[in-house]
Amino acid sequence: MNKALTSLNTFFLILLFLSLIFSMFSVPNLDIDETQSIKVNFYELIQQDDILFDSPAPTTPMKKETKKTSAINEKTNIDETAIISRFNINKLDVKNEITKIKLSKEREGVLRVSAIIQERISSIWIKPNSLSESLIAKVLINLAPSGEILNFNLIEPSSNTSFNESILTAMNKMTFFEEVLSLERNLFEKNFRNFNLVFKSSGEIE
Amino acid sequence: MRRLFMEPIGIFILAMICQVYSCAANVSDSVERMQYASVAGEEYLQGDKLDTNLDDKVFFEFDKSSLDAEDKNLLEQYLPLIKKAKIVRLEGHCDERGTREYNLALGERRALEVRDFLIVKGVSGKKIRVVSFGEEKPLKSASNENAWAENRRVEISLY
Amino acid sequence: MIRSLSLLFFLVSNSIFSILEIEILKGSDNLSKVAFVPFGIESGIEGNYGSQISKNIEKNMLLFGEFENLAVNEMLSYPSSENDFYYRDWKVLGVDYSVIGKINSVNALGNLNISYSLFNINRRIKILEGEIVGREDNIEGISKIISNRIYEEITGLRGIFDTKLAYVINSDADTYQMCISDIDGKNEQILFTSKAPIMSPDWSPDRKKIAYVSFENGLAEIFIQDLQSGERDSIQALGMTNSAPVWSPDGRSLALVVSFSGNPDIFLYSINNKRLIRLTNHYGIDTEPSWSPDSKKIIFTSDRSGSPQLYEINTKSKRKKRLTKDGNYNARGRYFPDGKSIFFVHGNDGNFQIATKKLSSRYIETLTSTSLDESPTISPNGNIIIYATKDGSNGYLGGITLDGKSRFSLPVKNGSVREPAWSPLLN
Repeated sequence: MNKALTSLNTFFLILLFLSLIFSMFSVPNLDIDETQSIKVNFYELIQQDDILFDSPAPTTPMKKETKKTSAINEKTNIDETAIISRFNINKLDVKNEITKIKLSKEREGVLRVSAIIQERISSIWIKPNSLSESLIAKVLINLAPSGEILNFNLIEPSSNTSFNESILTAMNKMTFFEEVLSLERNLFEKNFRNFNLVFKSSGEIE
Repeated sequence: MRRLFMEPIGIFILAMICQVYSCAANVSDSVERMQYASVAGEEYLQGDKLDTNLDDKVFFEFDKSSLDAEDKNLLEQYLPLIKKAKIVRLEGHCDERGTREYNLALGERRALEVRDFLIVKGVSGKKIRVVSFGEEKPLKSASNENAWAENRRVEISLY
Repeated sequence: MIRSLSLLFFLVSNSIFSILEIEILKGSDNLSKVAFVPFGIESGIEGNYGSQISKNIEKNMLLFGEFENLAVNEMLSYPSSENDFYYRDWKVLGVDYSVIGKINSVNALGNLNISYSLFNINRRIKILEGEIVGREDNIEGISKIISNRIYEEITGLRGIFDTKLAYVINSDADTYQMCISDIDGKNEQILFTSKAPIMSPDWSPDRKKIAYVSFENGLAEIFIQDLQSGERDSIQALGMTNSAPVWSPDGRSLALVVSFSGNPDIFLYSINNKRLIRLTNHYGIDTEPSWSPDSKKIIFTSDRSGSPQLYEINTKSKRKKRLTKDGNYNARGRYFPDGKSIFFVHGNDGNFQIATKKLSSRYIETLTSTSLDESPTISPNGNIIIYATKDGSNGYLGGITLDGKSRFSLPVKNGSVREPAWSPLLN
């Protein structure tokens, strides 16, 4: 019996290991804050870098201060040293991140649409006040290729009813994410057919 | 088995010691009370205030209660009069910045600083009365550096 | 075992079918828009109670700037029961919630029977339905109860429209008044008038008494006044200065400051047997105590480090802990009702502003932007802070919701208003 348990455990450990390796190579992983050391802030992306989304590559070289967001923006001339000195992080890390970002061309499109979706939800979600507890809730969304929201489900509700209610209310206000129309079909299928929105009450969730 | 008995007994003894100790603390508080209750007596308010032609205020820095050379100089000039007076009343004040209760304590601190200086100079501590009004009684009601500087003061009155 | 299995499953499922996740942290700066439809009235009943009640509810709900309203003349319909209620009428106007109601009957004793409902327009559901019976001469009271229910349903927080505010008015150089009023400023009552300063009002937890400091006898002395009878009692001056009284959550003792021989320290004063227990003993200034909601700890200001900073002390073990480190002026701390955060006066470049800090983090967040802010007091539901500030030489009360969306100031009084103290909830 004991033996059986141990072998079962080993089996699961191996499974865990494999799954971890698998997850490393899976492409559309956007949990940038967790797996990578540069935190991409979609909110800033939208506000300052209209160039990224609307116009083709900038004709005049951008001479502004390198921010975390523009690391993605100016793919061609990333000022690594500036980033390193600014955030004081491991040089190797930064290089790795940047090459990763450079490598995935698809990523930009996904990032762009994600950022817009994030901004649109942020603009209608009326967050309940003064929640000193750290809450987190997950909504699963099914989209049609047209961008229409076919279905949404609060798959992982928080412990706080008014927090959950506020999310449902906001989701009810949304009908379309037409932004996905700009994506290639396979990118849409891979990323936006089903995706999660993770609502957080504060930025300090451990 | 023995341990089972000893433990409650030990706890009981500890509890008794605590009891005695807290009683003692209570007694000492009541002693303090007798000592200072008389300060509240306002007999000096009935007496006539003595007029002096000297400046009767010393001033302080923000959130400070120390006397500078100028203040000490002024108090030195005052000394002969103070020694003659029956009662010396020291009233501490603050400017409006910061919190009210803290300022109440700070005003008291300032008045005490003056009292201690006077005692060192030979004035009997028994005739000195100290009171603080914190930021409740400003001389100037404006909110600027000049008004604040004038409000951070200890007023000296003799009876 | 099962636990570890399920954990494994979670990990595996997470990575193999890795799914795009978009994090939403920021909420909208907009307020929820609420339509307060004039209440209907059963035919045959006289009087205009209907519109009175809905107007009162509207006024209450808008009091702290937490909601936006829809003007009555912009409404497309005026339903008073669910049968006449159409979501699309409100959806097109961008309304988030609608309140409707009806006066069903008045009996011979003057008792009104009122029903009311609240709808979430976006979700197309009725989220609240209630019925209330009250006297026709107490329309205000009825409205407050309905407002509380609606507020609670929308926000998930306790309604605070039947709370009160205590404050001190200094109308001229020699007149000080201890006052209380309803939270909307109505029904002001003067408890005590004096020629000497009055300070530091604090409500007893049962809302029946107020403790405050009065200088009427020439120096700081603590009084407890009964609101019903108006009777005042000095708690017998001890030492040189008595100040900063605050009631314990159980109402049986006060934390206060006694200065024996000029050294202010924090004491506990038991109201029944009038015994003093010393909590702090330091040559520095220790003042401005306040209880944690679980009454195990007391926060206080001390200048033992050279500048005023906040500390907390365990009332049993007397173990002390420093709470603030940044800045050279952090004073008069109070706990949030959940006990997890504190709010206080923070000095910053010569400005004194209201700030908050989570006990678990080091970061201080400044809430207000005026320069002489003090005496913050929090609503019992932990959502609004009212504080005293100054405009020229005149003191007035300002307020802010903790999400920072709404800033407001309370109606101007005849004189300088200061030291607001928000009453507890009626239980």
